[in-house]
Amino acid sequence: MTGPSTPETTSRRGLIAGLVVGLPVMAFGTRGAFTEAARVHPAELGRWIVGAAVVNDLLLLPAVLLLGRAARRLVPPHLWPAARTGLVASGVLALVSWPLVRGYGRSPDNPSLLPRDYASGLAAALVAVWLAVAAWLAIDHRRRRCGPIASAGGAQPTPTRSTTKTSVSSGPITPPAPREP
Amino acid sequence: MSRRPTAATLRRRYESDLHEVRAAAWLGLALGVTFGLCFLTGLWSSLAQDPPGWFTYPARPAGVYRITQWLHVASGTAAIPLLLAKLWVVHHHLPRWPPARSVLHAVERLALLPLVGGGLFLLLSGTANVARWYPWTFFFPRAHYWAAWVTMGALAVHVGAKAAATRDALRRAPGDPTLVRATRSDRRTFLGGVAAVSGALVVAAHGGTFAPLGDLAVLGQRRPGVGPQGLPVNKTAAAARVIGVARDPAYRLVVDGAVARRLELTLDDLRALPGRAATLPIACVEGWSESVRWRGVQVRDLLALAGVDPGARVEVAVESLQPSGLYRASVLNHVQARDPDTLLALEIDGEPLHIDHGFPARLVGPARPGVAQTKWVSRLVVS
Repeated sequence: MTGPSTPETTSRRGLIAGLVVGLPVMAFGTRGAFTEAARVHPAELGRWIVGAAVVNDLLLLPAVLLLGRAARRLVPPHLWPAARTGLVASGVLALVSWPLVRGYGRSPDNPSLLPRDYASGLAAALVAVWLAVAAWLAIDHRRRRCGPIASAGGAQPTPTRSTTKTSVSSGPITPPAPREP
Repeated sequence: MSRRPTAATLRRRYESDLHEVRAAAWLGLALGVTFGLCFLTGLWSSLAQDPPGWFTYPARPAGVYRITQWLHVASGTAAIPLLLAKLWVVHHHLPRWPPARSVLHAVERLALLPLVGGGLFLLLSGTANVARWYPWTFFFPRAHYWAAWVTMGALAVHVGAKAAATRDALRRAPGDPTLVRATRSDRRTFLGGVAAVSGALVVAAHGGTFAPLGDLAVLGQRRPGVGPQGLPVNKTAAAARVIGVARDPAYRLVVDGAVARRLELTLDDLRALPGRAATLPIACVEGWSESVRWRGVQVRDLLALAGVDPGARVEVAVESLQPSGLYRASVLNHVQARDPDTLLALEIDGEPLHIDHGFPARLVGPARPGVAQTKWVSRLVVS
């Protein structure tokens, strides 16, 4: 969709081979779900599967893209890779810990199940993530200042990450033309 | 650098060069490994819980299920950041006009729905199950199981379609140079970050199984050593509604079915029988496991006492006092029934079982999933 630079990545022969293997497997799974319909509730399961894709493609991904753009404007370019990783880690941790923090699965008669304070756990994990990001930036900063040759005896002089990009993108960035839908 | 950047280069910079085939290829490879491992260990778990007629689930090595099931939850958890990152890298391929170039291309794109939706559903439902959160009405294990087959079928289609491009994109010098857009260091930073998030998530969610990492597992479903007698509990006696019957002095263990002598043993009878101690793990399907020292009566001794021919290929159904529930009974195949460490356990670390661990007697055997280590055992039916 992005014009001539989008490479063609589908192999026709490979796809046919994949269909020969994959379609019977998908049919087996679908048949199984309907054979056990009383327990599997295939219609509901189907709604979950389609819903997961729809929620990801129409809500989660656009939100991540918008947040990413906004954050990228706020963060200086040379800090961005570390900040991006920190944001991704924070988002994933928040998603995964959500049901734990809410305590949906707690059961009063079983204190050995979900025994931790997950809100504190999430907070501690987030602190650890951003400390790691800070450490990453500190190391990066030192390496930049000392230059690649001075760092770690004998290390081959590798160009520091994204130096070229940093220099180019330091000017004001005009928003791109909207991409074709 | 002095050249004024064109609109195209500006857009590329703004949109991130990481939306490239080489980054997608690395993530796809990592997803193939994690989903493949997750699928195989999931099949193994299914074989352990519902063995089909042609399969004899082994009794050794004793720790096999705790390893395979940990790998199952860990590989699934590791796949969460990988899958989200992969979908981010390739998102710009979703809107496309025309939607497909040919019938075959349409089929390929349609197969992405069960692949993406199924993959997300598997990771979401598995994570929710570990958190004991069930925002649906279907029975999780079976829905998860059949959804996995559908997803793996869709994955086969996708792998078939993309294998050649993946291989090309990972070559030092790809035949198609447009497969690579990002700089090596940008890609390494991005992929390294995703891998670090994956690893950290696995430690936070499932590191607790390894006691030294217990304190780092801030999102763990369990805490090592927390529970009655230092062992976590899955279903309590109260939830199973067995407190009254389990403590009733009229308790008897019945051994019947295809036996020469029907047995009816009191708890004192069981305690008077020659015992055996074994250190075996309780390995939960939700990933945690913990080993303790059990002591009890060997099931094979009980079979001998009931006059079952020691050479006969028997199967033993182990039934609980639990009035209902999917896991109120389990089956020992002949290998498991004859294993010296398959016990009707009466004690943990020298103390009578806590009622939440199955007092008066519970089944414990090597390599078995936790749900098949039946508690509050009242009857063994030999067939």
